[in-house]
Amino acid sequence: MGIIPQLILNSIIAGAIYSLVAIGFSLIYGATKFFNLAHGVMAAIGGYSVFYFAKTLGWDLWLAVSIGMLLAGLIGYGLDKIIYKPLRKRKASNMVLLVASLGAFTALQAIIAILFTSQFQTISGNIGAQNIYEIFGGVITQTQLIILISAITIMAGLALLLKYTMFGKAIKAISDDEEVSKIVGINTDKIIGYVFFIGSVIAGLAGILVGFDTGIKPTMGLSLLLKGVIASIVGGIGNIYGGVLGAFLLGFVENFGIWKISGEWKDAIAFGLLIVFLIFRPRGIINN
Amino acid sequence: MEYLIHLAILFSIYAILGISLNLVVGYTGLLSITHAAFYGIGAYATAILLTQSGVGFLLSVILGIILAVLASFLIGAVLSKFDGDYYALGSFGFSVIVFSVFLNWQSLTRGPLGILGISKPELFGIDFSSNFAFLILSLLFLIAIYFVSKFIVNSSFGRVLKAIREDEKAIQVFGYNTLYFKLAVFVMSAAMAAVAGSLFASYITFIDTSTFTLMESIFILTIIILGGLANLHGSILGALFLILLPEILRFVGFPTDIAVQMRQVVYGLILILLMLYRPQGLIGEYKL
Repeated sequence: MGIIPQLILNSIIAGAIYSLVAIGFSLIYGATKFFNLAHGVMAAIGGYSVFYFAKTLGWDLWLAVSIGMLLAGLIGYGLDKIIYKPLRKRKASNMVLLVASLGAFTALQAIIAILFTSQFQTISGNIGAQNIYEIFGGVITQTQLIILISAITIMAGLALLLKYTMFGKAIKAISDDEEVSKIVGINTDKIIGYVFFIGSVIAGLAGILVGFDTGIKPTMGLSLLLKGVIASIVGGIGNIYGGVLGAFLLGFVENFGIWKISGEWKDAIAFGLLIVFLIFRPRGIINN
Repeated sequence: MEYLIHLAILFSIYAILGISLNLVVGYTGLLSITHAAFYGIGAYATAILLTQSGVGFLLSVILGIILAVLASFLIGAVLSKFDGDYYALGSFGFSVIVFSVFLNWQSLTRGPLGILGISKPELFGIDFSSNFAFLILSLLFLIAIYFVSKFIVNSSFGRVLKAIREDEKAIQVFGYNTLYFKLAVFVMSAAMAAVAGSLFASYITFIDTSTFTLMESIFILTIIILGGLANLHGSILGALFLILLPEILRFVGFPTDIAVQMRQVVYGLILILLMLYRPQGLIGEYKL
């Protein structure tokens, strides 16, 4: 196996994970125009639910995965109803919403650490024993293959949903102008609530997949969120296709970057990319 | 009694951090989440100089300030082009990059192992190794920084900062180059944070990377938002409150590792509740 094909494969897998976080983040930003920093914790909630239901209680794996995604979705929905909606009603600035989400992130992450300790844990019992496939001269594990397939399925499903349903059109209308959407009879609070639910479910799935691929720890949400944020901004904030594009660009830059530099600088490389974009193209690749 | 002195020293260090961050967040309206980076630069400058060279405490403080000024100049030059949530996000990014440097430049900072055996300060032949003497020293620094900050915010320079906060475009029309003002206040604030870092390193005599994470920046932000933005007394009040709060939690009697996480939960909830019910904090003069 050559190093370049392997790096390309790794970049694509990283890109798939990041895009799952980025599309939810971008969707929420589009509808509400604030950076929801609590979004990453949904990934940790997903991962830890599967850890608890499947590994600790020994329930069926598929059931645990469904519960994990549902739970992440419900908590995301709950945050909107309890915190963000009252703030929106009061026409609070984006900064107030951002600080509130920072608070929600801090509190939820610490609660997870209290419940499950802050140690690194694995979900799947036998990581070394899973099937390995060879593609174009690089290797990919079964989990990583599942990551790719589910990311592509989710992206395609979401794209269809946004394009062809009334719900998708309502989201687009709210993203363009919330006030006008209200006037034409769209129940914006309900739609935004659903957006939080869907975005959080997808983030929960991302957390579960990362959990199977490497493992879980309470702070996993933060690093995933950071990557999702970078991907969204690099791609073009508020546009989910931009988010996906940014996610794969980030995956490639990171993986080729650590090939030349070294692994510990991964986060710094990612933020370097963000800052380059903030300076030279703050609206992202897809400029709208 | 010894313990009260310990708390008072921590209070004065965090009050310095709060006052200096308030210049940027409260007076200029720029939500910076990277304060712990400059706090860390000061701490590492003192730690490295005091353990590896014969340089005295005062010189190490000055060197820490110079390094923080250089770093904040580079970071601020990028950040000052933004405002609002993009500023917050960019500063978030720099916080991660600086943390990576602390963690990975192991030949200098010893990364997660930390630096041990930092000596207590000695100034002008006076020995500050007893806790009481150190308290006097840190209070002197606090008072000095309070008056410098007071001078800054009451000067014509300070009025321009507030004008930038209220309406950046309008003040630009009057011919002020707001970029310089935003950069200048950011650099001043970083220099003060470095002083707090030097005090911390020399007081605790041991530092490692875990002190200068994003969470620390969020903690300092909580101090100033709780106390009140654009009010120097507010930052002092906030620091006092949040230093004493864990002591109240201590009486509840959680095990240590849970108590640490409990504190994060409380900080998170404080941020959320403030945003919902009192965005100007206890005695703030500006709402985000």
